[in-house]
Amino acid sequence: MGQVYIEDVQVGQEIPSLKKNCSTQQLVIWAAGSGDFYQIHYDKDFAQATGLKGLIVHGALKNAFLGQLLHDWISPAGELRRFGCSYRGMDEPNQDILCRGVVTRVFQEGGKHLVELDVWTENPQGKRTSPGTAVVALPSRNGG
Amino acid sequence: MADTFEITDEMRAQIGIEGAPWTYEVTTTSVRMYARGIGSDDPIHYDVEFAQSQGFRSIVAPLGYIGTPIYLPGKNDPTFGFPRREGGPRLNIPFKGLLDGGTETEYFDYICAGDVLEERSHLADLRMREAGRPMLFVTNESVYRNVSTGQVVVRQRLTSIHM
Repeated sequence: MGQVYIEDVQVGQEIPSLKKNCSTQQLVIWAAGSGDFYQIHYDKDFAQATGLKGLIVHGALKNAFLGQLLHDWISPAGELRRFGCSYRGMDEPNQDILCRGVVTRVFQEGGKHLVELDVWTENPQGKRTSPGTAVVALPSRNGG
Repeated sequence: MADTFEITDEMRAQIGIEGAPWTYEVTTTSVRMYARGIGSDDPIHYDVEFAQSQGFRSIVAPLGYIGTPIYLPGKNDPTFGFPRREGGPRLNIPFKGLLDGGTETEYFDYICAGDVLEERSHLADLRMREAGRPMLFVTNESVYRNVSTGQVVVRQRLTSIHM
């Protein structure tokens, strides 16, 4: 995928989606990378003892998936200014997680070309389990 | 599990209290591990020479990764790794259940392997919500400063749900 420029973007446009499907191994690798070893993400008995149906995907990992969605879209010359999401639904290992984003605003600020987006993760039933927003800066074909 | 719960004045008085700063390290190994964890195959997170050819000082931390707090036995939480900093807010939370509530991150610069960051954190907000049982939302705000440049690189708000 080539560089996306501000001239390529319009409100309502959906950015390329990113599909994830976490194995329990991936959850353990991410735990090692993040330092979050909460057992509800790799110990099924522990998770069920807390009242959960089974293992769940880390909320912060879904946040990082949305970071990757944005990184993949704006690279190499774009810059992420801010992003965030809230965790409204649980996602399970070995279940598709679709990361999506739609442009909600295109504007200039401080001489930068900025794009605001709604971003979210979606479970196989179409429920938005991690809705959020993001702002990125994109280069212009006219410079800047 | 507590059946009823209210945020007390004593708890609200903790809002704004900042604990002692803590050091976070960003290493090549931790950046690669985090990138593997999210399933990225972008060489900018793995290959130092490639990252430098793109103008970065080393491999770039994936978005969402802001380094690893230095771990000192007895001074960090053994499950989550976060520091139990001196002088920080003290909340006597009666709930055992814990879930992620949300993450908001504002970036002012890239984070690369080799960076050492100083993190300062304070309790930013406390909220209650009833959804069949009481749930306490605790939000902490952290500011990360690059130790070698003095520049603020990230401001982040993390919300945890206790129930």
